[in-house]
Amino acid sequence: MCFTNAPKEGRSWFLGLGNEGSSWFPSLGQEGSGEVGTRRLSPPVLSCSYSPMTQIAKKPVLVSVQNLCKHYGDLAAVGGLSFDIFQGEVFGLLGPNGAGKTTTIEIIEGLRQGDSGSVRVCGLDPAQESLSLKERIGAQLQSTVLPDKMRVDEALRLFAGFYRRSVSVETLLERFGLKEKRHTFFEKLSGGQKQRLALALALVNDPELVLLDEPTVGLDPQLRRDIYVLIERLREEGRTVLLTTHYIEEAERLCDRVAIMDRGQLVALGTPRELITRSGQGTRLELHLAKPVGLERLKVIDGVIDCHEAEGAYFLRAHPPALTIAALVRFLESDENALLDLHIARPSLEDVFVEMTGRRMEP
Amino acid sequence: MAAVRIALLTIRLVMRTKVALFFTFLFPLVFLFAYAGLIAHGRPDVVAYMFGPVVTLNIMGSGFFGLGIQSVMQRERGSLRRYRLAPLGPRTMLLSNLLANYLLELPTIGLLLFCAIVIFHMPMKVGWVTLLVLVTVGTFAFAGFGLTIASVANTMQEAQVYNNIVWFTLLFLSGVTFPLPMLPRTIQRLAMFFPSTYLVSSFQSITAQAETLLKHWPEMLVLVISGCFGLLFAMKLFRWEKEERISTRAKLWSGVFVLPFLVMGVWMNTRANPTATWSRSYNAMEQDSSVGPSAKAVKPNLIEDFEGVQTSAELSRRWRVSADSDAANHSVAEVSLLTPGAEGTRHAMRLKGHLAPGPENAQGYVAARYEVQVPANSECLRGIEFETRGDLRVYEVTVQPPRAASTSPLPAIRFVPGEAWEGVRLPIAWLANPADRGLPDAPWVLEVLVTGPAGEFTLDLDEIRFY
Repeated sequence: MCFTNAPKEGRSWFLGLGNEGSSWFPSLGQEGSGEVGTRRLSPPVLSCSYSPMTQIAKKPVLVSVQNLCKHYGDLAAVGGLSFDIFQGEVFGLLGPNGAGKTTTIEIIEGLRQGDSGSVRVCGLDPAQESLSLKERIGAQLQSTVLPDKMRVDEALRLFAGFYRRSVSVETLLERFGLKEKRHTFFEKLSGGQKQRLALALALVNDPELVLLDEPTVGLDPQLRRDIYVLIERLREEGRTVLLTTHYIEEAERLCDRVAIMDRGQLVALGTPRELITRSGQGTRLELHLAKPVGLERLKVIDGVIDCHEAEGAYFLRAHPPALTIAALVRFLESDENALLDLHIARPSLEDVFVEMTGRRMEP
Repeated sequence: MAAVRIALLTIRLVMRTKVALFFTFLFPLVFLFAYAGLIAHGRPDVVAYMFGPVVTLNIMGSGFFGLGIQSVMQRERGSLRRYRLAPLGPRTMLLSNLLANYLLELPTIGLLLFCAIVIFHMPMKVGWVTLLVLVTVGTFAFAGFGLTIASVANTMQEAQVYNNIVWFTLLFLSGVTFPLPMLPRTIQRLAMFFPSTYLVSSFQSITAQAETLLKHWPEMLVLVISGCFGLLFAMKLFRWEKEERISTRAKLWSGVFVLPFLVMGVWMNTRANPTATWSRSYNAMEQDSSVGPSAKAVKPNLIEDFEGVQTSAELSRRWRVSADSDAANHSVAEVSLLTPGAEGTRHAMRLKGHLAPGPENAQGYVAARYEVQVPANSECLRGIEFETRGDLRVYEVTVQPPRAASTSPLPAIRFVPGEAWEGVRLPIAWLANPADRGLPDAPWVLEVLVTGPAGEFTLDLDEIRFY
C-alpha cells in the first residue's frame, strides 16, 4: 500500500485509495482508480493495524496512573489523571502545549514527583524506586542535549555502560542509520540525526517500556516519517511505548490507544477509531457539481447530518458515508446532475478534541 | 564505575576543546612565568617560595571555574537531563566531576613543576608523595568550594558573581598574590579564615623550607573537612535541571560550609604566634635569596630569631641585661636560650628574674638591651614586631635611636603577654623616612624593660623583625 500523509495542519482530506483494510470506504476502495479528486491524501490511520482493545486489555498493565495531580504554584499542570498502559501497546498522550503531557511522562519516568495520586511503572514506584525503574525503561527527552564534542558511538558506549543489560552499540548504530555518523561530534549532527541518536540512547538498555516525549517535534515531515518508521518497528518488536505528541497524524498513525489531554485533564481515552466513532462528527464530503442544487434537497439525502455551501462547493457531514454516497449518486442521476469532484475526509482526533473542548488543538 | 566512565570521557572532551586545553594547561604556566620571572627574578629559592601561590592559584581556578562553573553550565545547557534518565544518582555525577577535575589537575601541576625545576632550577625540597598529598587535599577542598557555589547558584550569572567575590577575596588576602608577611596584621588575622591561606602557607613551608606534612596537619584537616562539607552540600542540593530553584533557606544552610574555616580562623587567631610559619618561610626565602650571585632586590628584615644562637652564654653576650641591683637594689635577671621557640621555630629567648622593690616605695626594674642595625636604604619599614609570651605582667619595649636621629619621642609599647605566643608590633614613625634613621652605621638599641610590682617574672621573645 502506498499512503501519503495528511496535511500538516491535521485536516484529513483524502480519497479512499485502495484501503483494503478499511471498513469505511469499501466500494470506493475497490472502484477508485486512485484519482477521484484533486488531492491524493490518504488517512494514515487506516494503514494502522490496530490491536483490538479486547486483546490489549488481556495483557498485563505495565503503567498505571491513578488520580495523578501535579501543581506548579497555582497552576494545575496535571489534575486527577488516570489511565493504564498495557504491555505491548503504543499509547499516546495527545494534547496541545501546556496540556500536561510532559509533566505526566516525566512523573512516569521518575524525573518529577506528583503531588498526589499513584503511579506504578513496571510494578515499581517511580518516585521511590527510580534507579531500579531506570534499568527497565528507556526514555527520550523532548530535546536531548549532549556535550558538543561527544561522538555518536562514544555516547552510545557511555550510556550502555550505565546499565546491567545493554544492546550492542553496533546494532544500535545499524538500526538507527547512524553507522556512517559514528565518529561525528554531537554538535555536527542534524536535527533528525540527533533525534535518532536520542532514540538509540532510549533503547540502549533494551527496555521493556519506551517513553518518548514529542519525538518528532521540530523535525520536517520527511524526518518525522523516518521516526514513525522507527517507532512502528518498536511496536512490531512488541515493546510497550508511551509517547506524547501534539501532532494528530502522529497519534492516529502510531498509537493503539490515545489519551487526549487538555489543561491537565483527560478529555478522552480510547483507540483512535473508538474516539472518532464516538465523537459523532460524521465523515465530511466536499462536492463539486455540474449544476447548482438547493441545500434543502441535499439535507434529505440518506445519512446527511448537515450541509452548507461555500465558494461553489457543497460540504456535507454524513454518517455512514457509504450510504450517503450511494444515495447521493442516485440523487444526482435522477436530477440529471453530474459529480465533477468529490473529496472525502474522515473525522480526525482533532475533531474529537474540538468536540470535547470547544477549541482547536493549537500546538 | 559509571563515575569513572564519565570522568574519563569528560577528560577526552576537554582534550578536544581548544579553549579548555588552553585554560587547563597553558594558562597556569603564564602565572608561573609571571611569578618566577617577574617577581622572583628567577632566583631558585624564591621560585620555590612562589611555587606554592602558583599551584594554589591553579587549584583554586580549577575548583571555581573548572568544576563550579562547568557544573552550572552542564545544568543550564540541559546535558545533565540525559544522564538523569540513566540509573545514575547525584553522587555518581559529582564523583565523576571531582575525578575529572583531579585527573586534569595532576598533569597541570606536573607541568608547572617541570617548568619550575627545568627552567627556573627550583630546588626540589619536597618528596613526590608529600606534593601529591598537598595537591590532592587542595584540589579536594577547592572542588568542595566550587561545588558549593554551583549548588547554591540558580543561574550562571549568579554563579559568576559568587565566584568572583570569593575568588578575588582569596586571591588578594590569603597570600596567593602578595606574601602574607608583607600584609598588615589585620589582614593577616583575616587571612586565617581563608582556606587558600592554609594551602599557600603549607606549600611554602613544605616546598621552600622542606617542612614535613605532619607539621601542617591542622591545615590539611580543615581543608579535607571543608572538601567533605562541600561534597555533602553539593549532594544534598544537587539539581539536574535549570528550572529547579534553590530556596533562600537552603542557601543559608550552605553557609555551614564555611564553618571549618571559621573554627580554624578563630583557633589560629588565638594561637600565640599564628603568623610565625608565614614569617619563617618568608624570611628564609628572603635570606636565601639575599645570598648568592642572583640576590639583589630583597633585603632581610629579620632582627633576631635566635636560630643562629647555640648557647645561653652566647645569647648573654648579645643581649645586655642590667638591673637595679647595680644601684644597690636586689632585682636580678638573666637571658637564656629557650627550645623550642614560637610556633615551630627552634629557639627563642627567655628573660627571667626577680624584681625587687625599689628604695622608698620606688619600683625596681630590669632591662635587656640589644643593638639593632637598621637597614639604611630599606623603604616601607614601619616598625618592629616580635612574638612574645609571658606571665601577664606589664612589659615595655622601646627603641632608642642613635644620636642625630629624629628628636621625636621614643617609640615605646607596653604589653601584657599571656601564656600563649602572640605577636606584638611597635610602630616607629622614623622608619618611614630613611633620612630620619640617623647615621647609617650607628646602631639602634632595642630595650625590653621589666618594671612594676616586685616578684618573679618570665618573658619569652622570638622572631624580632622589622615590618
